[in-house]
Amino acid sequence: MSRRPAGPMQKFWAVFRREYLERIQSRWYIFATVAGPVFFGSVITVPQILTRKAHPSADVSHIVILDATNTGLGARVAKVLNGGLLGDTLSAVVRPVVSAGLTSAQDAATAEIVNHQWTGYLVIDSAAMAGAEVYYAGRNASSVQDMNRLTAAVRRGILAQRLEAVGLDPQRIRALTDVRSEINADRITDQGRGGSAELSTIFAYLVAFTLYTMIVLYGNVILRAVVDEKSSRVAEVVVSSVSPDTLLAGKVFGVSSVAVTQVLLWVVMSAVVYKTRGPLLHLFNLDIPAIPFPTISGLSILALIAFWVLGFLCYAALFAGMGAIVTNQEDATQAALPVTMLVVLAVVLVVPALLDPNSTLARGASWFPFTAPIIMPVRMSVTQVSWYEVVSALLGVAIGCGVSVWIAARLYRVGLLMYGKRPSLRELGRWIRQAS
Amino acid sequence: MPAALELTHVTKRFDGHVAVRDLSLTVPAGAVYGLLGPNGAGKTTTIRMLLNVIEPDEGEIRVLGTSNSTPGVIDRVGYLPEERGLYKKMQVRRVLRFLAELKGVPGKQADKRIDEWLDRFGLITPERDWGDAKVDELSRGMQQKVQFIGTLLHDPELVLLDEPFSGLDPINAQALKDTVLDLRARGRTVIFSTHLMDNAERLCDSVCIIAKGQKVLDGEVTAVRDAHSGRSVALGFLVHPPQAVVEVLRDRALVLRSDDSNRSAEVELAPGADAQELLRRLIEAGAKLERFELIRSSLHQIFLETVGANGVEPGVIGDE
Repeated sequence: MSRRPAGPMQKFWAVFRREYLERIQSRWYIFATVAGPVFFGSVITVPQILTRKAHPSADVSHIVILDATNTGLGARVAKVLNGGLLGDTLSAVVRPVVSAGLTSAQDAATAEIVNHQWTGYLVIDSAAMAGAEVYYAGRNASSVQDMNRLTAAVRRGILAQRLEAVGLDPQRIRALTDVRSEINADRITDQGRGGSAELSTIFAYLVAFTLYTMIVLYGNVILRAVVDEKSSRVAEVVVSSVSPDTLLAGKVFGVSSVAVTQVLLWVVMSAVVYKTRGPLLHLFNLDIPAIPFPTISGLSILALIAFWVLGFLCYAALFAGMGAIVTNQEDATQAALPVTMLVVLAVVLVVPALLDPNSTLARGASWFPFTAPIIMPVRMSVTQVSWYEVVSALLGVAIGCGVSVWIAARLYRVGLLMYGKRPSLRELGRWIRQAS
Repeated sequence: MPAALELTHVTKRFDGHVAVRDLSLTVPAGAVYGLLGPNGAGKTTTIRMLLNVIEPDEGEIRVLGTSNSTPGVIDRVGYLPEERGLYKKMQVRRVLRFLAELKGVPGKQADKRIDEWLDRFGLITPERDWGDAKVDELSRGMQQKVQFIGTLLHDPELVLLDEPFSGLDPINAQALKDTVLDLRARGRTVIFSTHLMDNAERLCDSVCIIAKGQKVLDGEVTAVRDAHSGRSVALGFLVHPPQAVVEVLRDRALVLRSDDSNRSAEVELAPGADAQELLRRLIEAGAKLERFELIRSSLHQIFLETVGANGVEPGVIGDE
């Protein structure tokens, strides 16, 4: 029988092909790939749609205003509140009270709110006219959006009241006070305007959490694949045909490519949805203005991809190494815990890095090889990171990646044919030293 | 023709204990060779060293005429491990194709061979082509067949079977024996490790018995048996033997051990004693003999004698 000499490369490809093709053809993978964007999309849009729908009709307008100013300020605030998007059917009720009767009026209102007649009550007294604090109690007191709306309504009411006091025409007052400005913040970097700050943050989150999800998800896929190969004893046959290093490489790259394929498909699908968003939005009767993408330079994208790939490989190798030291799936999760903790550490640092991207903590985390792949892209998205910081962080990740692969290969070489109890740390140390 | 396998003074240690100690053996090309020994004797370690999965601490291993670390040489070896398993969720054909690819067989050629083998092992029937099924849909017996196919698919020149009969049903065991003989007829070399002496005796041309990592004896099966034969005699009496005959059998200068039951006995000659002398003494004592036969020891007995002398715990031999 003719046989071409099979070098490590051919064997690597055989392992790679098996890992890749078997996985992307699985029903779960196809489902997750299609359902993933739908799920993420709905996580983002459904609450928005719900709040939009809820906005005009309910919460803010459905309150009692206890007006102790005796000036008609309460009525003014109620009118501002009722001017909701769709012209509310529910309206705020104004109850004029005297200062002495305020406590009992509050008690009565509280009882009514408990009975679900209203959402909350607002107290306006003469101090409020002077610009002091206004008191509100209600079921929606923790809603930042509602409180912002209330505050704006009270301010407009007071302003109108003051303008009227100096003798301005009511018509003109309405025209002057009807201001609905909102802040649209842009980020400025060395290259000039870098797009919306809010979008940058969202983008940073997206980059960080995609990588995090992929590491945890596919790290565990690799972990399970290695343990499965070991516990089903397929490894016995396979290592007689291919060296453990080649097997490890084929596995890690095969599974990584499955993850990359998924992310690429998600990007493509998102792009398609974005291009065709007009008809789609129309379908849901929504009118959302075009979302400008944050401007990112080509070099930054290259750096992002490099962080992503190196970070993923680094963790994938560690998960594979951990898989090789155990014999069954139950032990596998435990063995992988230290690795999982490293990823979680990186994610815990995302928010501090977002809030203060130039703090010592954020800088430190973007150098440490195991947190850098997640933290550095976050910092790069929200602030200006100097190129030498990016390059040295990349170098750090590359070295970390090399060390991980080295450790994993050694654990793999010794562990793949070892069965029985989980080795102690000291034994692992010996494995790593002995494997040659 | 170079030897299919040559081990020269091979030693392997693990954490202070010696798994294989100074092992030398030669397997001639085209032979069926048995590596015999109780569990824990170092058979699997030896096989893993042959396959270059683990390296010996000392000594040299040559496979098919070249060092076993020569690139490509292990691709000419087929290996059936003691602990068997396949990718459960994979289609049978794909698993086999993968195993063939790892040995460097091009995909198309592999596909053709896979069909031939599946057919030969009865895995393609008019009702169902099991090649398209997933591994975990197959019965255990079928999975074992698939595993054999995986071992032989690349037409290896040297086949290593580690405890091939463990866990096999009688039908598959017979299929395996037939396959071994077929391989031999086609000039392939087969090495198998086992602790089941019956199979070894019937199939092997040569054997090597190892215990505690050391070689106890080796050689052609007939030579080994001859060397260990002639010390036992089977006796048959026409009538119940008289007391004088019993006295002869109790003479420790002549008989080391005797195992007698009514009209027959099996005796082991004492060192230095001669079978002819025993015959003469028995007849003098008035025995009416129906049978006097020098017994050739079975491998099983030789195994017990030689390995037992090396101090193996009782009970490890022959259990499944």
